[in-house]
Amino acid sequence: MLEPYLYSAPALLLITVTTLVPIVIGISYAFRSVMLLDPTSGGFVGLDNFRDLMNDASFWNALRNTVTWTASCVAFQFVFGLILALMLNRPFPGRSIIQPIVFLPWAIPTFLIGMNWSWLLNPAIGPLPHWAYALGLMSTPGNILSDPDYALLGPVIAGIWWGMPFFAITLLAALQSIPREIYEAAEIDGASSFERFRSITLPFLAPTMVVTVMLRTIWVANSPELIVVMTKGGPADASQIVASYVFTQAYQGLNFGYASAIATALVVLLLIYALLLLSIRQMMLRAR
Amino acid sequence: MASIEIANVRKDFGAVPVLKGVDLSIASGEFAVLVGPSGCGKSTLLRLIAGLEDASSGDVHIDGRRVNDLPPRDRDIAMVFQSYALYPHMNVRDNMAYSLKLKRTPAARIAEAVGGAAAKLGLEALAGRKPRELSGGQRQRVAMGRAIVRNPKAFLFDEPLSNLDARMREQMRFEIRKLHRDLGATSVYVTHDQIEAMTMADRIVAMNAGIIQQVGTPLELYDDPANMFVAGFIGSPAMNFLDARARRGEHGIAITVGGTAFCTLPQSLSLPEDGHVKIGIRPERIRIGASGGEGVDAAVDMVETTGAASVAHLDLAGQPLKVFTTERLQFAQGQRVPLAFDTGHVCLFDGASGDRLR
Repeated sequence: MLEPYLYSAPALLLITVTTLVPIVIGISYAFRSVMLLDPTSGGFVGLDNFRDLMNDASFWNALRNTVTWTASCVAFQFVFGLILALMLNRPFPGRSIIQPIVFLPWAIPTFLIGMNWSWLLNPAIGPLPHWAYALGLMSTPGNILSDPDYALLGPVIAGIWWGMPFFAITLLAALQSIPREIYEAAEIDGASSFERFRSITLPFLAPTMVVTVMLRTIWVANSPELIVVMTKGGPADASQIVASYVFTQAYQGLNFGYASAIATALVVLLLIYALLLLSIRQMMLRAR
Repeated sequence: MASIEIANVRKDFGAVPVLKGVDLSIASGEFAVLVGPSGCGKSTLLRLIAGLEDASSGDVHIDGRRVNDLPPRDRDIAMVFQSYALYPHMNVRDNMAYSLKLKRTPAARIAEAVGGAAAKLGLEALAGRKPRELSGGQRQRVAMGRAIVRNPKAFLFDEPLSNLDARMREQMRFEIRKLHRDLGATSVYVTHDQIEAMTMADRIVAMNAGIIQQVGTPLELYDDPANMFVAGFIGSPAMNFLDARARRGEHGIAITVGGTAFCTLPQSLSLPEDGHVKIGIRPERIRIGASGGEGVDAAVDMVETTGAASVAHLDLAGQPLKVFTTERLQFAQGQRVPLAFDTGHVCLFDGASGDRLR
C-alpha cells in the first residue's frame, strides 16, 4: 500500500523543500508586517498589506507601466526575432559568422547591458542623443532617461536589443524542423512566397510562438534589472514597474511584508496570463 | 497532357556533376520510369522537370515550351513526394483543394474536383481527417488526390512507395498504374526499385552515375540490356556474370570459363582485342540436371527455397552462379550437377568497359 508513495517520495520531498516551502514562506510575509528596521514587527496583519495595495497609487502606476514595458518589449523582441530567424533560415555567404554575432546579446549580463545603454543614451558620453537630434527626432540632444515622458523608452530599447536573440534562436529551431518537401509541394501547388509563409510557416510556428511569448512575457515582467540599473524606476516613478517597485519597497523602504504582498499580486496576475495562453496553445494543437 | 523533352541537360552541385548531359523525350500520355541506384541523378532529373532545381546547362521543354526559367507553379505539373509532403494542419479535403483555392477556382468547382478525386481514390470517408490520423497508404492516396484535382499537364512521382510496407507497395503500384490507365496523363516516376520499374513502366529509363544507360520497354531492357549495369540492375535474382575468354574459331566464338569450354557463340559478334569478356546469363535461363547441354557442370553450394521457387547457388570454376527454378531442388553441398542453357540467352560484354558486344 505504501510502496507507490515511497517510490515517489524522493521527488516529492525535493519539490517540497526546494520549491513549495520557499513559496509558502514568501507568500506568508505578505500577511505579516515585516519591517527590517523595526525589531518588534513580524506580527500577523491579515489582509492589511493588500488593502494598502488597493489604495496605493504608485502600485497602480507601476502596474500600468508593467503592461507597457512587457507588451512593448515582448512585441518588438518577437517581431525582430522572427525577422532575424527568417533571414538566418536561408543560406547566404558568411551565415556561420553572422549567426553567432546575432545571438551575442543573449550572452551578455543584463546589468552590463543596462549600463551600456544608459551610457549610449547619455548625451555627455553616448552618441545616440546627438544622432536623434541630427535626425530631427529630438529638439535638443537630451537624456531620455531623465525625461518623465520617455524614461521607460530607454529600458525598453535595451530590453528589445537583449531579448531579440531568444526569439531568433527558438523560432529558427522551429523553422528548421519544417520539412522542405512541404514548401516544395506548396510551390508546385502554386503558392507565392507570402502564401507559403501564411499557410505553412505560420501554422507550423504557432505552438512555438505561443510558448515562447508566454515564457518571455513572464520573464520580462519579472525582470527589474534593466530598469533598476538605467532609471531606478524614476524620474518620480515614471518608469517604475511592479518588479522594480517590489525591489524598491524591499530594499529602499525596507518593508518586506508590503513588498511580498506586491510580489504575490504579480504572481497571481502572471499565473492567470499563463493559464490563458496555455489553453490557447492546447486549442491550437488540437486543431492541428 | 503533354510531352516532355530534355535536351543535353547538365547539373552540377558545386564541383560535383550530378547529371552529365542527359537527353530524353517522354511522349504525351506515356508512363516513364527513371530507375537507378541512389545518387544516380534520377531524383535530380525529376526535380529539374518540376522546376525545384535549375539546370546548369541544357533545356527542359514541357508541351513544346521551354520551361527553364519558369517557376514550378507556372509549369502546370503535379508532384507526389516520398514523404507525402501533406500540409499537416489541413484536413484531407483542404489538402486536395489547396492548389485550386490558390487559383481562385469557384467553390462549386473545387468541391466537384475534390469529390471526384476522393471517389476515385476511396478517400470520401476520410475527407475531414488530418494527415496524422491516416495510415501511410492513405496519406499517399491523399498526395495523389492532391495531384489529380489539378488536372496537370504531367504527373511527377518521386519514390512515392518507398515509405510503405511491402504489401501496401504492391497494392499502390497496381492503383497508380490503373489511375494512369484511366487518366492517361504523362507521368514520370522515379524509383530505385527495379520491380516497380518493370511492372509499372511503359518505358524504363535506366540511369547510373548521372548518365542514361538505356531507354526502352521493360522487356527490351530485360532481354536485351545495353551494358552490364542495366543487365545487373534489372531482374531479381540478378543476372549471372562470369569472367571468360573468347576466341574466334572456325565454327564460331569459343567461350571458356576458367579454362574449360563453356559455349560457342555466333561469329557475327564483335570481340575485344585481348579476348577478355564477361558473359551474362539470367538465373532462370539455366536448367539443372538436364541433358542436351554443352557439358558444363558446377558444384552446389546452397539452395534457397521460397516455396514457389528455388534459387541454387553454384560454384563454376571458382565463380558464383545462381540458378532460379520453380522446381523443388534437393542437393547435397558439393554435389556436382550438369547445367543446360540456350546460347541465345547468353549476353556477351566487354570485360573492361562492361558494354554489350553485339
